[in-house]
Amino acid sequence: MARRALITGITGQDGSYLAELLLSKGYEVYGLVRRTSTRSDERIAHLADRLKIVVGDLSDTPSLLAAVEESQPDEVYNLAAQSFVGDSWRQPIYTGDVDGLGVTRLLEAIHRVKPDARFYQAATSEMYGKVHEVPQSETTPFHPRSPYGVAKVYGYFITLNYRESFGMHASNGILFNHESPRRGLEFVTRKITYAAARIKHGVQTELRLGNLDSKRDWGFAGDFVEGMWRMLQQDEPGDYVLSTGETHTVREFVEEAFGRVGLDWQEYVVLDPRYVRPAEVDLLLGDPSLAKRELGWEPKTTFKGLVDMMTDADMVRVAQEAAFENAGK
Amino acid sequence: MSRRALITGVAGQDGTYLCDLLLSRGYEVWGIVGPAPGDFRERAAAIDGLHALEADMTDTDSLLAAVETSRPDEIYNLASVSSVAESWTASVVDAEVNAVGLVRLLEALRLFAPAARLFQASSADMFGETLVQPQTEATPLCPRSPYAIAKTYAHTMVRAYRESYHVYAACGILYNHESPLRSPQFVTAKITRAAARIKLGLESEVRLGNLDARRDWGFAGDYVEAMWLMLQQDLPDDFIVASGETHSVREFCQAAFEHVGLDWERHVVVDPKFFRPVDPTVLCGDPSKAHRVLGWAPKVGFRELVGMMIDTDLVREAPALGSDRG
Repeated sequence: MARRALITGITGQDGSYLAELLLSKGYEVYGLVRRTSTRSDERIAHLADRLKIVVGDLSDTPSLLAAVEESQPDEVYNLAAQSFVGDSWRQPIYTGDVDGLGVTRLLEAIHRVKPDARFYQAATSEMYGKVHEVPQSETTPFHPRSPYGVAKVYGYFITLNYRESFGMHASNGILFNHESPRRGLEFVTRKITYAAARIKHGVQTELRLGNLDSKRDWGFAGDFVEGMWRMLQQDEPGDYVLSTGETHTVREFVEEAFGRVGLDWQEYVVLDPRYVRPAEVDLLLGDPSLAKRELGWEPKTTFKGLVDMMTDADMVRVAQEAAFENAGK
Repeated sequence: MSRRALITGVAGQDGTYLCDLLLSRGYEVWGIVGPAPGDFRERAAAIDGLHALEADMTDTDSLLAAVETSRPDEIYNLASVSSVAESWTASVVDAEVNAVGLVRLLEALRLFAPAARLFQASSADMFGETLVQPQTEATPLCPRSPYAIAKTYAHTMVRAYRESYHVYAACGILYNHESPLRSPQFVTAKITRAAARIKLGLESEVRLGNLDARRDWGFAGDYVEAMWLMLQQDLPDDFIVASGETHSVREFCQAAFEHVGLDWERHVVVDPKFFRPVDPTVLCGDPSKAHRVLGWAPKVGFRELVGMMIDTDLVREAPALGSDRG
């Protein structure tokens, strides 16, 4: 019989890559989707006839009980979150309710309905915030600097708690930034590659950014979902850092993206204090050696490969948008 | 004009002591009375000079209204679902109050009292299974119960608001603190109440779990003084509030029964029913930063604390003696 997986946040970047991976491995894949009036399923539209969609929300306990009951999952991946750090300052209570308490609600639903299901919690490098050491590993103390980071620390510890108290196979993946052509436009990487493509096509004239010296450990989402899956195939649950182990600045990212389309970034990038965060996080650099040693996992995509992949995809997308626009005239 | 303070959890042990302290210093004191059991409401109603407000830590709008109405200079967040044991069955409710409740309060402060100073009652339980002894403000947090995890959430959120918005918000990492107002579900109050009743001839024994369990116990009246001092500094910061020494449950029994002239070993029965599956790590706080920066030190020592609790219990239980005889 096919193994069954339930993915929350399936319409997101990671959810869509993970769904593809699990389908390719023969899983029956259920996705938890929030009821909204506008469609948010463009990332999984190509999988639509192969997925089973369950309507529910991490802030609504009965919907989670029903989702677990209906899917009877062998594996649950909790990828749903209000995942934009900046917005977490605008919506700190909502962020806490979904990203923090939502984890408890989901764990409780699994514990009651399908306690032998394996559980993956999407933790994040934002938990390190004001870093206590570089690089960060599974033993580095947390010092989150945003409501998002705080809520994720809560989710991390409650996952650990269900593992220790109830013997659940529950694991945390501490993921550093991971990007892809499916990244939302509110994230700086997509904002850059999309802008480079639009400027190249002459439909945009400048790109406004915050701190160009910000450094990030950026990997490819498609590589990272492989790490998530491997965690749940281990005999014992655990917590693992998934990262590339190298950092690049926003400036390097801009340089590579604009270079890819044959433009000089310095002619188009404008610094805008509006995009500087209230408290900038320090150098986030993950040490993925435990994942390499125990899971046999390492990222396959390089920094250049990632930026080029994203820029190329946006060039195609912008060309289509332009064609669509012209056809309408 | 007198300063105004808003206290959440005003009817609890700490809230009651803090309310007394602030009233004695001329504050106008407002207290939030939540949808709590009746005896809490009665206790709040019994405090002279307290302006009681109805609000609920799980209801954002009620907290916004409470802050808008009281226009506080200082906010003390003492409301919490504070039983570690209860949190196993109600993790979500627990976090709604102890974790997200604090965020609601911080947002209310930002909107309606941005110059106000906030005190957050953090808990030594956040250190969980730490290997560091004694703990300082820099010891990494390692929470191991839903209660401690929710407290960690609030603690780190205060720090994030402080660092990002420059809100004046301070956390007191409080170790066990007891008083005659402690409810008998806590081992200290259970012992002193039993010793008093045994002394009065109302009972003959008390059944306890692990007598070797050690705690860092202080007097709640001293600890609320530290809370107040924390909000009088130029800059907000976090402080360990602890006695800095640990005593065993056995020592507590000994001190309590000695105080009323009894031999504890003739009355204390060890009952495996009260053993915990795993005893928590012994936590001992290092209060030297509070001493150095705030000039704070506990005034009531271990034996004095035990004596104070049992003296109150003797007075409290004496009427029962009368009615039993009557």
